[in-house]
Amino acid sequence: MSLRGKTAIVGIGQTPYYKRGTAPDPEQKLALRAIVAACEDAGIDPRDIDGFVSYGSERNTGQQMLPALGLRDLRFAALAWTHGGGIPGALTIAAAAIVSGQAEIVVVHRAMAEGSNQRLQVAVTQDETPAQFLVNGVDFILARSAQRAMRLIHEGVPQECFEAIARAGYFHAQNNPGAMGHGHMLTLEAYAASRWIGEPLHLYDCSRESDAAAAVVLVSAERARDLRQKPAYLLSAPMGAGASQGSREDNHEPYTSVGMIGLADRLWRESGYGPSDVDVAQVYENFTPMAAMALIDHGFCTRESAGDVLTFDNLIAPAGKLPINTSGGNIADGFIHGMGLLPEAVRQIRGTSTNQVPGARLSLMTGGPGDSLTSTALLGSDETL
Amino acid sequence: MSQTPRIRGGIGADGPYWDALERGVFQLPRCAGCGAWMWPAHYRCGDCGSWDMEWVPLDPIGTLYTWTRMHQAPVLVRERIEDVPYVTLLAEIPAAGGKRVVGALHGSEDGLAIGVPIRGVFLPPSPKTKGYATLGWEIVR
Repeated sequence: MSLRGKTAIVGIGQTPYYKRGTAPDPEQKLALRAIVAACEDAGIDPRDIDGFVSYGSERNTGQQMLPALGLRDLRFAALAWTHGGGIPGALTIAAAAIVSGQAEIVVVHRAMAEGSNQRLQVAVTQDETPAQFLVNGVDFILARSAQRAMRLIHEGVPQECFEAIARAGYFHAQNNPGAMGHGHMLTLEAYAASRWIGEPLHLYDCSRESDAAAAVVLVSAERARDLRQKPAYLLSAPMGAGASQGSREDNHEPYTSVGMIGLADRLWRESGYGPSDVDVAQVYENFTPMAAMALIDHGFCTRESAGDVLTFDNLIAPAGKLPINTSGGNIADGFIHGMGLLPEAVRQIRGTSTNQVPGARLSLMTGGPGDSLTSTALLGSDETL
Repeated sequence: MSQTPRIRGGIGADGPYWDALERGVFQLPRCAGCGAWMWPAHYRCGDCGSWDMEWVPLDPIGTLYTWTRMHQAPVLVRERIEDVPYVTLLAEIPAAGGKRVVGALHGSEDGLAIGVPIRGVFLPPSPKTKGYATLGWEIVR
């Protein structure tokens, strides 16, 4: 049985983004604010929530938040078994719970506040990074991604693609007053002049680390039709790792894949759509080359055609062929382990993005690229069912 | 094995790799049943089902598969801060079926490019390597 179109996101909620370590509230209060906002958006009483799903190292559990939300009956709680790769997968877990009758109103959330936790890059990889990386000065996120990006250039993808992805995010942030990059237009010159972080990654190729929380509310498709918001139906959100992927410590093949080749195949088959049908995409860019690899894995281009396809003009709303990261993305909007991308994917279906793609019906959100287990999601309007 | 706390991340079947480096031996595991190279080390061969691994001593000779020059030392590897900028890499080991091991560049950057031959140099445990004996990789000229 497919989960295609059986559930929908009917509520979205976010706190403002704060520079890491500066949120006025503790992490769990941020989580609660985002969840209550998502419920208000949906027209649902928070007391009626009966399920929670998150991913990665999220510490704000449903059982902890139950008293503050006034929950009557918590019936389902789960964590997707991965890092940022788990976001779309968390949607599948939530949808499976709803379709199987385990729960009716399920929240998917993520909150980060350095002051009440620790630095995000530590929180998500501490005690999970294999020895051969750490003893050689290679952290699991930055250095590892930089090495992969260097090989991607060697295989023919030009640095201009990375720059285009970074600039598209900043371009979109100019129309989004809530974006941390709002008021800061990124020019070609500024990109080129920015300092190296780990070659070939410039400063602007790297996501931020923010304090913030975001949440979405999922219900059954039947219930969604009676609520106040235009539903964003979950068409497909496969999670997984192919035989040549998983925890292979950079011995996965192809090396410059981010583990989404098989996932994309499942995504297109289950949804009945393909890359050329997608109107807009939120592409998880912890680093811009990893987003380029995700787009290649999904079939939007090849290593050979990337230089022609992944251009600034193609990647911006409203008129680009594939507008991406239309709120500014992890780079220019804010970064809470990728969770900010999901509400924006929903806004595109609703028609309420600050960088709206006219008539958007199919909205893609890719999970954390390069996680040993990852996932990807396609949301659709009711016309796409 | 040194007394430094061991790193808990990863699969955890790679103890013999680190023990051997302390003795000046570079070795990688292969399945005792079907001969498939297994890196990272694991507990069971997923191809043939064998639970037995043999550790094969190898000449530390490889090809530079990819690299980065790090201009900051991320939090988890902060002890490298005084080396910034420093070069890290993946070494492809032809004698082990092309398996790739993680490393850091040792010595001069002259000739640094994907595809160049590299050779491992045994380095003693140090704070920079979190108390592990490692291989540094130098470019063969």
